[in-house]
Amino acid sequence: MLRVEGLSKAFPAVQALAGVSLRFESGEVHGLIGENGAGKSTMMRILAGIERPDEGSMTLAGEPYAPAGVREAMRRGVAMIHQELNLVGDLSIAENVLLGREPRRAGWLRRRSMIEESRRWLEEVGCALDPRRELRELSVAEQQLVEIAKALSQRARVLIMDEPTAVLSERETSALFGLIRRLRADGVAVIYISHLLPEVRTLCDRISVLRDGRLVAETTAADAEPSRLASLMVGRELRDVHPPRRVVPDAPPRLRLRDLEVADRVHGVSLEVRPGEILGLAGLVGSGRTELAESVVGLRRLARGSVEVDGVPRRFASPRAALAAGVAYVSEDRKGRGVVLGMNCRENLTLATLDRYGWAFPRVGEERRSFARWRDAMGIRAPEGEASIRTLSGGNQQKVAVAKWLDARPRVLLLDEPTRGVDVGAKREIYRLIASLAEQGLACLVISSELPELLGLCHRIAVLRQGRLAGVLDAEAATEESLVHLAMGVGETPSDRESRDRGSTAA
Amino acid sequence: MNRSLGMKVVDFLERYGVLVAFVLLFAVNAVWQGEVFLKPESLRNLLNQNAAIGIVAVGMTLVIIAGGIDLSVGAVLAFSSAVGVLLLNRLVGEEGGGFSETAAVWIGLGTGVLVGAGCGLLNGGLVVLGRIPPFIATLAGLVGFRSVALALAEGGEIRASGGEVLQSIGRGGVPLPGVETANGRPIIVFWSILLLVATTIAGQLLLSRTRLGRHLVAVGSNEVAARYSGIAVGRVRLWSYLIVGLCAGLAGLSQIARMGAVSSSQFGLYLELDAIAAVVIGGTSMAGGRGRVWGTFVGVLILGMINQMLVTSGFEVYWQGFVKGVIIVLAVLVQRGRK
Repeated sequence: MLRVEGLSKAFPAVQALAGVSLRFESGEVHGLIGENGAGKSTMMRILAGIERPDEGSMTLAGEPYAPAGVREAMRRGVAMIHQELNLVGDLSIAENVLLGREPRRAGWLRRRSMIEESRRWLEEVGCALDPRRELRELSVAEQQLVEIAKALSQRARVLIMDEPTAVLSERETSALFGLIRRLRADGVAVIYISHLLPEVRTLCDRISVLRDGRLVAETTAADAEPSRLASLMVGRELRDVHPPRRVVPDAPPRLRLRDLEVADRVHGVSLEVRPGEILGLAGLVGSGRTELAESVVGLRRLARGSVEVDGVPRRFASPRAALAAGVAYVSEDRKGRGVVLGMNCRENLTLATLDRYGWAFPRVGEERRSFARWRDAMGIRAPEGEASIRTLSGGNQQKVAVAKWLDARPRVLLLDEPTRGVDVGAKREIYRLIASLAEQGLACLVISSELPELLGLCHRIAVLRQGRLAGVLDAEAATEESLVHLAMGVGETPSDRESRDRGSTAA
Repeated sequence: MNRSLGMKVVDFLERYGVLVAFVLLFAVNAVWQGEVFLKPESLRNLLNQNAAIGIVAVGMTLVIIAGGIDLSVGAVLAFSSAVGVLLLNRLVGEEGGGFSETAAVWIGLGTGVLVGAGCGLLNGGLVVLGRIPPFIATLAGLVGFRSVALALAEGGEIRASGGEVLQSIGRGGVPLPGVETANGRPIIVFWSILLLVATTIAGQLLLSRTRLGRHLVAVGSNEVAARYSGIAVGRVRLWSYLIVGLCAGLAGLSQIARMGAVSSSQFGLYLELDAIAAVVIGGTSMAGGRGRVWGTFVGVLILGMINQMLVTSGFEVYWQGFVKGVIIVLAVLVQRGRK
């Protein structure tokens, strides 16, 4: 269906693609994996008409294909579902699905046929939402379905999906997979980018691995061993993604949350984190995890309950106040809240800690040294601190966002999806960093939708369900299954109860 | 990395186009008007005439970088000048209480400057605490402060007392070493010009070398990320309005010293538009988060030179606005970043 031949693309800082040739067939799900900065996103952006290649050619169904922009790519039937969804929050679902192609009669919108047409496409993706609802009311998963419906309504023959499950809960993920398989059966060529190897293996028919802008392997899913894929991605054997778990020293809790209540979101949650402890926070999307963390650092109003840091009751009015007391929060929304795209890496790193580099006049040399230190410590792939953060891949931006808070030397670190959109190698570096920080006495709360991550990294795992604490499990004893059961409210097994009890006595 | 020469030229123009435009205009003027234009005193006068716009434009640059705008600067200039001169007149008057003329002038004008800063603070308060969009809040200021100025001056002009001291400020300055006019007198660089230069340098340093400057960029570029990073976003924006108000007050001071009077209807009229034009020509993004003070300074000079060209070439004054409009559009077209 879609063939690319010798595709190359260079950016000021990096050779993003170097002569990649690939074929994407209809009725096939083609997985594309690689570390951050391996060139996947660049590849996809070229296919979708956002970027133009420096060298190489493409053909679509036998015809030359060189889209001048997204519009042309879409007209030719190539659509991309972005990691950051491109929808207009103030418009209705119907208006979003048909954006730019609104049915008109004599210049007037035909609202009824708009609603009907969009409803048809929503049904196509198995979504029963009312097309008249405003988009901003929808969950991320629902928005994603709207975006897919939009792509299908444009008769997409090639559908590019950039880490679609990164923002989805497990249940939503399996629904999405069902949809992708149906699209495949209808003859759509699906190009699927992901960091999650097991997921790629179950879903894809063919898997291509990119490394440093080159194609290093192309296999069928059946032949692809996860460990082999992982080592192909990083170019070395990967073992021990998770650092060994250290014993938490006996000490009074550093962070104690009591009976927290956030309107409509969090209901009476109490948790404790000791110095040196990594507490996981699991739960479906919408279970109130982010809201809980945000209420602690003053980003949301706390209706009731108390926050204690080292035994001192606190109520932070802003992240600034929280940071002053040593509590830092790394947001899940990297582009929106984590980094300032208009600034360079160094400026992003020191954004929260500029006070330390001089009260009114920051000492740039010191900032540079600091950036160099964090770059080495976290393996941030950036040529220098002066590079615009825009030129970094998503995973490397995330590392800068995390480093920004670590540079503040917090005593309590709340991490919300710290490894979302980050490749295996970088994940391992972030895990090690968290573990070593905990070893130095930091109290960590890690929110994640990736259960293996929580199981491997944390000492205990708290599970939220619809804003309430469903249970706290000891990570050694917990399993993915037991966590899912708690999160979804399915019946518990005796062993779960046992491990949960152990978990809560450990508190 | 083998980018073509064309791309490099485009990059260069995007960054330094304003300087290229300035050099071109300067050269055209120099060739066309020859010595008249190149005479040191005419260059000095060019700077002097545009000092007020330039000083205000420095503040405007910072506000716009922080994602705001201030439409009230011209009215604030008129209002703060009126207050300053009224106070000055009272202090030197009979019931003034024995202030010397010099003291009266400095207290009066200094108060005027502080009133400007106060107006800025009020604007900032409306935006930050009152959550009124900057365009609306400062539009209210534009009509409101002008109206108060008119009321204070009963619609006309207030002549300032302390003429001699004022004149020594308005006409005084630092002689340009080694340069003389045709009849052998030294060329004085007026205090207004020095104030303009000092404000520009201070503004650029503030932007690129201070914590506040960094925070202005962060807030203008991504307010949410800034808030999540523990930046006191409200305070940062408040500062930006206070600074632009202060600049308007300082610009008023330089105007009073030059004119010896305040015209409540003419002082600072359309100043906000000229200042914003200079900011845009200088390469600052109206969307916030990206900009530079030195560019604004060059933008002010470009606008000033164009005005002068039009006047000397005998165009009717009505065409000035048209030419400015064209220049603004061209500046934005050349300097906008490629996607």
